[in-house]
Amino acid sequence: MTDTTTATVDNAPAPGTPLLQASNVVMRFGGLTAVNDVSLTVNTGEIIGLIGPNGAGKTTFFNCLTGLYVPTEGTVTYKGATLPPKPHKVTQAGMARTFQNIRLFHNMTVLENVLVGRHTRTKEGLISAILRGPGYRREEADSRAKAMEYLDFVGLANKAGTLARNLPYGEQRKLEVARALASEPGLLLLDEPTAGMNPQETRATEELVFAVRDRGIAVLVIEHDMRFIFNLCDRVAVLVQGQKLVEGDAATVQGDERVVAAYLGTPYEGNADSTTPEENQ
Amino acid sequence: MHELPQNLVNGLLLGATYGLIAVGYTIVYGIVQLINFAHGEIFMTGAFGALSVYLGLGSGTSMWIAIPLMLLGAIVTSTVIAVLTERLAYRPLRNAPRLAPLITAIGVSITLQQLVWGFYPSAKSPRVFPSLPGGPFHVGGVLIQSADIFVVVAAVLSTLFLAYFVRTTRTGRAMQATAQDPDTAKLMGINTDRVIVIAFALGAGFAGIAGVAWGLRYGEIKFDMGFLTGLYAFTAAVLGGIGNIYGAMLGGLVLGLVQNLTAIYIADIPGMSQFSSQSWSSVWAFVILILVLMVRPQGLLGERVADRA
Repeated sequence: MTDTTTATVDNAPAPGTPLLQASNVVMRFGGLTAVNDVSLTVNTGEIIGLIGPNGAGKTTFFNCLTGLYVPTEGTVTYKGATLPPKPHKVTQAGMARTFQNIRLFHNMTVLENVLVGRHTRTKEGLISAILRGPGYRREEADSRAKAMEYLDFVGLANKAGTLARNLPYGEQRKLEVARALASEPGLLLLDEPTAGMNPQETRATEELVFAVRDRGIAVLVIEHDMRFIFNLCDRVAVLVQGQKLVEGDAATVQGDERVVAAYLGTPYEGNADSTTPEENQ
Repeated sequence: MHELPQNLVNGLLLGATYGLIAVGYTIVYGIVQLINFAHGEIFMTGAFGALSVYLGLGSGTSMWIAIPLMLLGAIVTSTVIAVLTERLAYRPLRNAPRLAPLITAIGVSITLQQLVWGFYPSAKSPRVFPSLPGGPFHVGGVLIQSADIFVVVAAVLSTLFLAYFVRTTRTGRAMQATAQDPDTAKLMGINTDRVIVIAFALGAGFAGIAGVAWGLRYGEIKFDMGFLTGLYAFTAAVLGGIGNIYGAMLGGLVLGLVQNLTAIYIADIPGMSQFSSQSWSSVWAFVILILVLMVRPQGLLGERVADRA
């Protein structure tokens, strides 16, 4: 009952083994196919980037991975097991995420936000909480210590008592990362972590992501900032109009003319490639 | 004058009972944005649960033993019924348009009333509720019954417990998180279905306590006692700022005071004597509600709807 935290030990199997496997994921909303037949593998110890023009289906794909949407077709497995369609069980299994538009619990303090993140890694019987037994106190103290550790990791330890809504923008993003880490994930999904950041903050985020990886946590990141993504990622997948166009290391993706076309449009006299429509927003 | 201290005390006591019930409206609303119109009936079934325990105990039992058992009976009855209604009536409608669960709540309310009316032994007329021994006490010119002491102790302890529970426990944090953003809460690993059940159960527990308090103060309980009382308690929750637990208590106290004081003192204003009867006191209660909402649409302690709880 008072058995706490399973530390990060089981989150770090030998690097290079498949952690998350999405196979042929299709997501349709009525007649609209937002994600079409996308497969993606994230191995342990990797940082994978997911890029694509706005509306390419990146966030929808993310939502399929985290159980917010149930894919119309295809499967998503994490550590070899198919993910349950309930988001809270996905978190329990070991995936955590941040959001494109920050979604903190604004009326709770920074520390409380991280404690909510620890929800799946703590246990508390209603009765023991009411009676405040020694086990409960120990667990609560333990939980707070762990939460402070994550705040320290992202550099927010001195803001623990501040209400989340009073944090400046960049720190709110950091808090989201701390909150996600608090669930002790094996895989962290970041949805546009540098949106709205200045170059300095972006560089700091880059270092933060590397530090996360060094803790044995694989990272899947959606981003628009090309420099950020190519500096960071071991592999990059490009999503255009719901389909995966290319996947490979930075050089491969940067050199692929279809990717260039998807972002910049085809040259005027260029050959008409069916996968490079310009109207894609 | 008309013994102002006594009227203040009576008003606060009535208000504390409203507050205990209002807490249930407010917790559930804060988390699922459902106005659970059956909550008044949850309060009523709590009172009947306590009565059943009392009748089962046999006549010789001391009230000091009977009261804790009756409280337990009330809380268990209310909680079980509330959890069942959530499971059977509200959960299937979780993603339905707002109006569907609202109408369902009214249906549940009528159903519970009629079930008690039809199946509880001789519940078609008011049933006598046991009273506490001892008292009345005279404290500085104010007459206090032992049941009144029960109400005060119950209200204070319940509020303290709830504040402690929501602010400092893991489940309480999960409730706050769910109230602020259910989708994100899910992604943080919170089983929101479970949180919703706990919200219903907590509210029902308080309603059960209020049921016992009501029976002890008025000496009788009735199958339809939850209807009007529930409505006032809901008003109290709105007055205090729905979604805010302290607001529910405050709203209850204000409403109880207004009802009690207007019933007596309006008559002292020249030309207003015809508006001072007991039946007019509800009118004044709602006048106050309207006035408060004109100035503070979010209620006394409420926050903007965007960040409730």
